[in-house]
Amino acid sequence: MDYKSTLFIKEHRRIIIYIKQRELEQRMNQTLLHLENVWKIYKMGEVEVPALKGVTVEIKKGDFVAIIGASGSGKSTMMNLIGCLDMPSKGSIFLKNKDITKLSESNLATLRGETIGFIFQQYNLIHSITAFDNVMLPLEFLEIDDKTAYERAKKILDMVGLSDKTHHLPTQLSGGQQQRVSIARSLAADPEIILADEPTGNLDSVTGKSIMEMFHRLWKEEGKTIIMVTHDLKLAKYAHTTIELKDGEIIRIDKN
Amino acid sequence: MKFRKSFKHALNMVLHAKLRSWLTILGIVIGVAAVIAIVSLGEALQQDMTSQLGDLGGDILTLTAGRSRALFFSHNRMKDSRGSSSASEEEIVIDRTDLQALKGISDIKLMDTQIRGDAEIYYVAEKGSVTVYGVDPATWSQITTSEIGEGRMLGPADSNVIVVGGRIADGFFDKQLGVNQLLTIEERLFRIVGILDDNSNSIYMPIDKAYEILEDKEKGVYDSIVIQVKNEDELDQTIENIEHKLMIIRHVTESTKDFTISSNQQSNDARAEMMGSMTMFLTAIAAVALLVGAVGIANTMFTSVLEKTKEIGIMKSIGARNKDILIIFLLNAALIGFIGGLLGVIFGILLSGLLPALMGTGGGVMSRMGSAGSVVSISSIIIALGASVFIGMASGVIPAYQASKLKPVDALRYE
Repeated sequence: MDYKSTLFIKEHRRIIIYIKQRELEQRMNQTLLHLENVWKIYKMGEVEVPALKGVTVEIKKGDFVAIIGASGSGKSTMMNLIGCLDMPSKGSIFLKNKDITKLSESNLATLRGETIGFIFQQYNLIHSITAFDNVMLPLEFLEIDDKTAYERAKKILDMVGLSDKTHHLPTQLSGGQQQRVSIARSLAADPEIILADEPTGNLDSVTGKSIMEMFHRLWKEEGKTIIMVTHDLKLAKYAHTTIELKDGEIIRIDKN
Repeated sequence: MKFRKSFKHALNMVLHAKLRSWLTILGIVIGVAAVIAIVSLGEALQQDMTSQLGDLGGDILTLTAGRSRALFFSHNRMKDSRGSSSASEEEIVIDRTDLQALKGISDIKLMDTQIRGDAEIYYVAEKGSVTVYGVDPATWSQITTSEIGEGRMLGPADSNVIVVGGRIADGFFDKQLGVNQLLTIEERLFRIVGILDDNSNSIYMPIDKAYEILEDKEKGVYDSIVIQVKNEDELDQTIENIEHKLMIIRHVTESTKDFTISSNQQSNDARAEMMGSMTMFLTAIAAVALLVGAVGIANTMFTSVLEKTKEIGIMKSIGARNKDILIIFLLNAALIGFIGGLLGVIFGILLSGLLPALMGTGGGVMSRMGSAGSVVSISSIIIALGASVFIGMASGVIPAYQASKLKPVDALRYE
């Protein structure tokens, strides 16, 4: 190979790397989620207990965010608000530039189904239907046609390494397998955000590590935005951005 | 979510239902089965009635003495209270004079003079009490609605012969009776010439002989005159003509009328009405059973919503809209109703097949119902299924609505 063509290939590679970096930067520049002075106040009889006190934060597209804090710091409340499962008492939440407090119930449900994939500590699979049907469920709610949905579910279960367990009921699977089914379910509708609440909380350390590696791969290779709530600082190290909460307020935002 | 998918999930919920759901379904099954059985029995009775009305001669009238039973009794009581001796007053009867008068009415086709009374009968060493009818042997066979099973009816020249009811021939005595056998009635011998195709304890004989048997009957006085009219369509007109003539002969007015003309049609109508109201009553009871079933569905649905709260939260977190949850739970309730209805229809059909056999042994109306058999019509099945689905949905609508309105965050937190 002559010098010229070697140079050309080198240059070509350099350009590709540059483009990829630019893409990542661009992606990261896009704000996916924006919390603006968000308050959440719970009423316990006569007493008002604020769980979040004026939280303002931006989460960029393609980021891997860990929300950490001790129990009672408000991280679960924040996760519920980010996941559109709950409404703030005050303030606004913008998901893909839409104010979720102003959306109708039906539109919000569809936005949630299309944009966010949930992963819970308790896996939260439906026990009466098979692993495969659990993965199909989000696609059914979005009224994706049967053939596409079927192929998509098959492909994703294959991806999480459960192609041989598709027709098992959740109760017939181990904790790690169940969590992988729930990851597959969260990915079924190809959402931009994966929202995970203590995803390894119920798993042993080896299984937990493999799950975290799966998250990392989803972030790096699939370009998913991952938001993970955890109290485990070791897990937070996988993340790109760490948001620490204390008593309902953000006390620190770190970038790796 | 598409309807087909919602249906799949609702069906899945029923199939994975616990014992409780099946008990709920059982409630509906009992209700629907009861309704189906009773309605089909009622329909069978109605059919039976109409078919009887067809061959039971709508053209037959019966003339009896006395205004009507109720008035007659109150009249007697009044006499008693006045303290006057009843012997001095003439007894109200139907006799030859009336018969002669009736003969002049052109609307009348045939007449049969009848008396009736109880008599002792003997056969071999057994005895028993039966109702004896003295009838006009010349006309009875043409007017009567009874049908001959064996032998023949009475004829004009008959004298010491009788026609007996089916039950007398078979079941009254230890030994079965047959045509041409001899039977002793009040110490006189009679030959059986015919056996009726019915279940009665009655004996029919020529009226002249009956006067001899029934000693308290005065010759020339009848208990009733059975009249067959020429034209059934002009029944009302004929009744009017007869009444008019008799009122003149008997010297009575509309208000002092001392006889009654009843038509088979009227009594059939009355019977049908009674049967109808009885069926209605039973249906009402069955409907209460169905209502209890409906309350059961509502109860199960409320519990089911509570039990599935977490699943509802999960579904909402992965994109289910309120509408989707509502439809799944409503379909679930409808399916419970439908399955209950379907099983209920099956049991109802079995039950309505069994009921006649169970009731046939009793007496009175029940055995009438029994002998009528049962008819399960397609329409009653469709109505029963439709009603149970409706009941399911109606009792499931509030729980389903509650389920759909659950806040996802609260539902997910539910353990």
